[in-house]
Amino acid sequence: MKTPRNMKKAVLIGSIALLTLVTAACGNGNNSSDGKEEGGKVTLNIMHPWTSPNVDNEVYRARIAAFEKLHPEITIKQDGVASAQYKTKLRTLATANNLSDINVVWPGADLKPLVDGNLLLPIDSEMANWSSILPEDALAGFNQDGKQYAIPTKQTFVDIIYYNKEMLAKVGYDVFPDTYDKFIDAVTKLKASGVTPIALGNKEQWPLQSSYLSAFQERFVGSDFLKKVMNKEAKFTDPQYVKAIGAIEELSNLKAFNTDANNMDSVQAQDYFIQGKAAMHISSSTVDSRIRITNAEGDKYGIALFPSVTGGLGDAKKSSGVVQFGIALSSELKGKKKDAALEFMKFFVNEDLYKELISKGVVVPAKVDIPADASEYLKEMMALTGNGTSPVFDSVIPTQVTSVMQNGLQAITVGRMTAEQLAKDVQAALDNMK
Amino acid sequence: MHTLKGTKYAIFFGLLPALIIYLGIAVVPIGMSAYYSFFNWDGIRPLSYVGLENFTEIFKDSIFWLSVKNNAYILLSGLLGQIPVGLLLALILNRKMKGAGFFRTIGFLPVVISSVMVSLIWSTVYNTEYGLLNSILGAVGLDSWQQNWLGDTAWSMLSISVAYIWQNCGFFMVIFLAALQNIPNEVNEAAELDGASGLRKVMRITIPMIRGTILVAVVFSISNSFRVFDLIQIMTGGGPAHATEVMTVYMYSNAFVNMRFGYGSAVSVLILLFSLIVVSVVNRLGKEKEA
Repeated sequence: MKTPRNMKKAVLIGSIALLTLVTAACGNGNNSSDGKEEGGKVTLNIMHPWTSPNVDNEVYRARIAAFEKLHPEITIKQDGVASAQYKTKLRTLATANNLSDINVVWPGADLKPLVDGNLLLPIDSEMANWSSILPEDALAGFNQDGKQYAIPTKQTFVDIIYYNKEMLAKVGYDVFPDTYDKFIDAVTKLKASGVTPIALGNKEQWPLQSSYLSAFQERFVGSDFLKKVMNKEAKFTDPQYVKAIGAIEELSNLKAFNTDANNMDSVQAQDYFIQGKAAMHISSSTVDSRIRITNAEGDKYGIALFPSVTGGLGDAKKSSGVVQFGIALSSELKGKKKDAALEFMKFFVNEDLYKELISKGVVVPAKVDIPADASEYLKEMMALTGNGTSPVFDSVIPTQVTSVMQNGLQAITVGRMTAEQLAKDVQAALDNMK
Repeated sequence: MHTLKGTKYAIFFGLLPALIIYLGIAVVPIGMSAYYSFFNWDGIRPLSYVGLENFTEIFKDSIFWLSVKNNAYILLSGLLGQIPVGLLLALILNRKMKGAGFFRTIGFLPVVISSVMVSLIWSTVYNTEYGLLNSILGAVGLDSWQQNWLGDTAWSMLSISVAYIWQNCGFFMVIFLAALQNIPNEVNEAAELDGASGLRKVMRITIPMIRGTILVAVVFSISNSFRVFDLIQIMTGGGPAHATEVMTVYMYSNAFVNMRFGYGSAVSVLILLFSLIVVSVVNRLGKEKEA
């Protein structure tokens, strides 16, 4: 029965070797499919969030197809991820050092870790392709430490108030209220008349933070506040900022939102609004195509920005916006694949892309001539948002602090927290960040 | 002697592939998780060692304890809901009746449907606007009973528990059904001859006969309750305001959404620890009774 020592050792070493082999094989399997260069053929992977049936998503996918037609030697393998999950997948792949060759990235706080981890390719040498049409402020969010990492495709303003003209007229507002007090008055009257004042779909938690808070903070504390907070020159607990959060508390107390605001996603809230069940909906300029441009009854709806606040330190004309869908390349690209990827980028983001987007009613960050067939709605949107841009909360504040804010805003809507408490929690989360 | 030795090695080598896979996908990741729990790590920048700081932070984190409480809620709804309902279904379907096979399939169906579908189905049932539940309540004149089932913090955990019980009771039904069919006919006949019938027979004969299976089911139910994730992630994402947060959802949002892999790993280590403790307590209680 005695087992020879050597045998035991051999078995142990053998199993370790096998284990390494199995795990190593798994790791390689992934990489080898990433990029094969067979006889001049190149395959590039792109991960993007363009899965839902939006007009701009169709433009993007059509351009990928056009590129493949133009370059039969390059195959583009698409990995479309639903936009609510996209950022999580991007970060997870970044963690595993396994980014796609071409990635769609967000500016500012979202971009920073990717750059810190040396995962993205600086593209400064290629900037001549875009410098004539893209102004500096459109590129700034994708610039870190003086190096450019991505090129944006569209500009999104997150705080557009869509309103049902008829419903507001019924409570005495033929034009959209221009002060905060009148806005609250309109909400109160709408509620009293049995109409849900604002359709909110906050299940994914970003709408209150991105669309609402970004707008409120501009009106109450101004555009540079978030930067000051990050530089420790200001605090979320400053009374004026608490008032900005308090606006959400006030709206919840007035029962301005539909009761199931926390179970609806943003698309369901749009439906709710379009079906005439609510008088207002606050969301991004992206949904204009659905609410007005492609909607036969689009004329029913007007757009406005959040009104001015008495004693507020900000600018009532500014809209909160971010440049979106930055196209960035993986830093692992080399040789033929790198050339092909740069070629793709040059083709994908050029004047034609911006023009196609404009003609579909999408606001773009580029300075290009507005085509004759651009919709009136788009021109109205551009006029509304053309008076300066204010930062969006989560494009400046790091994700883990943003998530405290988002959960807290949800807690406010169910009456489990006050604006003061939330301001304290968020400030504490920022202070504790390592 | 020699042949025996040979068989031993054969058994060992036969088990080796399974052992390697098990080590690779279960033991090694657990070890890695435990390792990461001592670091502050965003997944991209280098690891920085913080010792037990993640754990001390967790113990002070009220949201974590809220998630533990909700896990206990889920655990109890498994024990007090899934197992009795599963047993009841099994007892009903174990009798000779028409269409037993059909009903067994129906009962087992929720177990085979993917959790994502289950979550979406129940989200629709609970919808305040057009959901089945509120519609039924409205149709029978119980408008005042209509609720915002998932969005109201007073109801959200209960609503989720009902979906959780529905999803898994079929699994326990099948386990119990198999056990019931292993009870020898003589035992049942003898019981009936002695005048035991109905509830009395179930309590005195049937349940004691399948005690072992019930104990296994209890352990299954407990370990399932610590793993519940997709149902809640899809129905509420842990909201509103953390009201339906459970440990796995909390771990996921910390690690993968907030990019705090060290902290998330520490939570996962605690999940493992808690489930080991509860399962071993149950096992011990079960053994004591047997002895």
